[in-house]
Parts: sequence; structure tokens; C-alpha cells
Amino acid sequence: MAATERPQGRSMGDRLYDAIFQNRLWRSIFRSGYPNTPRNQMLAVATNVFLHLHPTRIHRTHVKITHTFCLGGLSFFMFLGLTITGVLLMFYYVPSVDRAYADILALETDVRFGQLMRNMHRWMAHGMVLTVLMHMMRVFYTGAYKPPREFNWVVGVVLLVLTLLLSFTGYLLPWDQLALWAITVGTNMVGSAPILGEPNRFILVGGFQVGQAALTRFYALHVIGLPLMAAVFMMVHFWRIRRDGGLARPL
Amino acid sequence: MAAAPQAQAQPVSQAVKGRQRRAREEELLVWPDLVFIEFIAAVLFTILIVVLSVMVDSILLDRANPAVTPNPSKAPWYFLNLQELLLHMHPALAGVVVPTIALIALGAIPYFDNTPEGQGEWLSTPRAWKNTYLGAAVGAVGTTLLVFYDESKHIWAFEKLTGAQWPEALNFMRGLRGIQNEIAWPAWTLDVPLGNLLRADLLGLPAIELDWNIPAFLVEQFIPVNAMVGLPLLLSLVAHKLKIAQTKRDHMILQFSGFIAVFVTLTIIGTYFRGEGLNLVPYTIFADPLH
Repeated sequence: MAATERPQGRSMGDRLYDAIFQNRLWRSIFRSGYPNTPRNQMLAVATNVFLHLHPTRIHRTHVKITHTFCLGGLSFFMFLGLTITGVLLMFYYVPSVDRAYADILALETDVRFGQLMRNMHRWMAHGMVLTVLMHMMRVFYTGAYKPPREFNWVVGVVLLVLTLLLSFTGYLLPWDQLALWAITVGTNMVGSAPILGEPNRFILVGGFQVGQAALTRFYALHVIGLPLMAAVFMMVHFWRIRRDGGLARPL
Repeated sequence: MAAAPQAQAQPVSQAVKGRQRRAREEELLVWPDLVFIEFIAAVLFTILIVVLSVMVDSILLDRANPAVTPNPSKAPWYFLNLQELLLHMHPALAGVVVPTIALIALGAIPYFDNTPEGQGEWLSTPRAWKNTYLGAAVGAVGTTLLVFYDESKHIWAFEKLTGAQWPEALNFMRGLRGIQNEIAWPAWTLDVPLGNLLRADLLGLPAIELDWNIPAFLVEQFIPVNAMVGLPLLLSLVAHKLKIAQTKRDHMILQFSGFIAVFVTLTIIGTYFRGEGLNLVPYTIFADPLH
């Protein structure tokens, strides 16, 4: 037996590795070891509910930044960021005509990081509209809407509408002149539809002009109704990417 | 089960086997190759947004006051394209019908263009770039020209260039409204009683007594609809004759690029070039809070 084949004592690194990644706590959480071997790397993706959005392997052209510019992922990233900053903003905001504006002022002056949270929420909201639109253009120009992905494109169009509605409902909440009149102009557009326009505008605004009823409705839609709908459609959207065979590839 | 042996008997050609093997070699593991990129992207954009948020505060005007209407009053920027349309046609058309049809048409794209070519790569079909440029250029320039026409900018240009007055006989071409206001329409055309033509009562809604104003109908509905449907069709027709657009995908790229260009152009005009009274002048909201 050659000297090199003699069983060696386990090195310090090996023992440390085992202590961290092979103990019962780690295994109870992650089931697979540290993803340093192809097997563990695939298990890390396949056995994790979040990473499971991805397949375990993808084509090498699809990790090229210029193929997708991460636009779909960035839209989702914006959605998550908006959820986090949005929940923080809800701590300080009461959707009442009497309080809303004062709450925003207090948020900007009295609340630690309040202005930062509000700014982040607003810029990410604008950013999400942009990334969703650009994502749509990316999908179009790479021909990724073609069969079998037709329906996922339709889901994407629904998500675009939901994104615009989320942004639009949020626009009213600061209750300043910009908010009030932008929503007045926007809802008047709905009201101009033949026959059903005015009833629909009335339901949306909850009255003849934008007031407390509109603020209540827009708030409810903004913080729970539309985000839930968007989450459901996103679930379908992501699921369908996998079901339809991942990102589109040239024939 | 009888079906099982059938599945086994599926012949697998050498070409398919070879292709499968090749495909496997071209694959990467999601961990770490993709997860790493996603992580870096998330970190970069978190930093970007925090830096942007520290540097630029969001806008907050005076407390909402239903008694004071700001001039101009504008919708959020992503609806300013529709608000811009509102200035040029019937409000029902611009505010509801056009966006609804645009969204349905957008959703229907894969059902029109179901050809497999051009998938998975940027603009990979032979004439893809050409059609993108053409659609975008025609969309942007065409929209700008139409807005200029409706704002009588051609008259300004004519009088600047020639030094002469715009001829009286061409007053109906001062803008789209000229057709309605500058032509001596016979009185009957302004009020053609159509009665209860729409039969809204059948839907349980109040009956509508329709009085048809022909010049207003021409200016607010007939001409805009024909322009919005006809000009894109004309573009496709011309591109087809010139052999720039030949396949379904070509026409789809042409139309989509045109649509995006129109959307962007209208948004820019509505955002930056609609000032007081929604006149066509440079404008920015960010000057507002300073006064």
C-alpha cells in the first residue's frame, strides 16, 4: 500500500465543515449539505421552497445579463421592497381625510427614517412601472411570448394592469393637491365611458367627488386587495415559466 | 395496462439523442450561477434605491383642497399618454375605449403571431431590427406631427417661413377642430335626431335620446378612430410592399415598436410639454413646490 493511500486523520477544515453543515440543526432546516458539490447544489435549489421557483439547471445563454437584463426579477424585487416599505409606512399612516396629510408630514419630519421609507416606496413604485414595461418589451423582442408561452404573456398583461392600478391607488394616499387632482383626472377618464362609465366612477370613488370614501377605497385596494391579486397572478406567472419549459430558446 | 409498451416503442432518432446530449452540456447549475447573479442584482438595486431615496425626496404639495384646482391638473405620469389623447378626441374614446382595446390587442399578440421563429434571442429574425427602427420612427414622428397639427403648429411654421398669413380658405386646416368650427355646416347636420338608437333600456339602463352632431362626431370620433386604425394598417401595408415586413413576426415587431413609440411620445408630451391650460409649452412639476 502506497503511503498516499493510507487513511489520514480528518483535517480541521473537514471537522469544522461537519460541525456546521452536518449537525442536526442545519439538517433539520436545509436537508442537504452546504452546496459545494453538484449534487448538493441541485438539492439546495430543489428542496428549498423559494429557490424552487428555479429549475436546478438552466441553459448557459440564460444567465447572460443581456438576455433578460434581470427585468422580470427586478419587477418582483421592487414588489417585495414595496411590500416591506409599505408595511412600515402603514405603521404611521391613517387613511382619513383629516389625518392623512398630517401623517405624511409627521412621517417626513418626526419619524426616524420616515422620509427615507417614503422616498424608497415612491421611487420603487415608479421603478416597478418602468421595469414591468421594459420586461414586457424584453419578452416581446426576444419572441418569448410564442407558443407554448402565449398564456403567460396574457398573465403578464394582467400583471401590468395590476401594477398600474397599484401605483394609481397609492397616488391618492398622501392626500396632497397632486394626489387629489391626479386621481380626480384619472377617475374622470373612467367616468367618460359610454353608459357604464359614470356608475363605475361612482363605485370607484364612492361618491360624486374624491373624498373620504375614495381614500378608504383606494387605501383598502392599495394595501390588501390589489397586492393579493398581484401575488396570485405572480404565482401563476412564475409557475407557468417552469411549466412552459423555462425561458424561451431558439429552435 | 396496454399503454405502457407503446410508450417504450417510441422510436428515438440519433438526431434527437445527439441534441439532448448537447443540450445537457450547455446547461449550468442554478446554484451558484443564477442565484449569484440574482443576489448581486438585488444588492445593487437596493443600494441604488437607497442612494436615490437619500438624494431625492418625493414630492409633497399642499394639503388636498377640492376648492382649488391646480392648473394644470395631471394624472400620474403613466396615464399622461391617455390624458394627452383626451385633448384630441372624445373623452370616452381616449379614456376608456382606446386603453381597453390596446390592452386586449397587447394580450392577443401571441395568438396573432404564433409562428415559432425568432424565439429566445433578441430580434433574431432577418428583418427584425429594420422593422423595429421603422415602427419606432414612424410612431414617434407621426405622433409628434399629429399633435403639432392639432395644436396649429403648422400655421406657426407657415407664417414664420413665408411671412404671409395662413390663407382664409384653409382655415378648416387650422387643427382637427377646424373641420367642425371653420366650415359652414348646414344647421340640420348639427342635430340629427336618432332617437333611442342605442336601446340602453334593454339593459335596464335609462333610455338614451341620441342627437347626432355630425361635425362633432367627425372630429371627435370618426377621424381619430380612422387615424388610430388606419395609419398603423397603412404602415404595415407600405412595409409589406417595400418587402421590409414579410412574415407575421415582422409585422408584429413593426406594430409593437410603433405602439411603444406612440406610448412613449405621448407620455413625454403629456409630462413635459403640457403646461397651464394644458397648452403645448415646456413644463415640469418639480418647479411647483418652490413657489
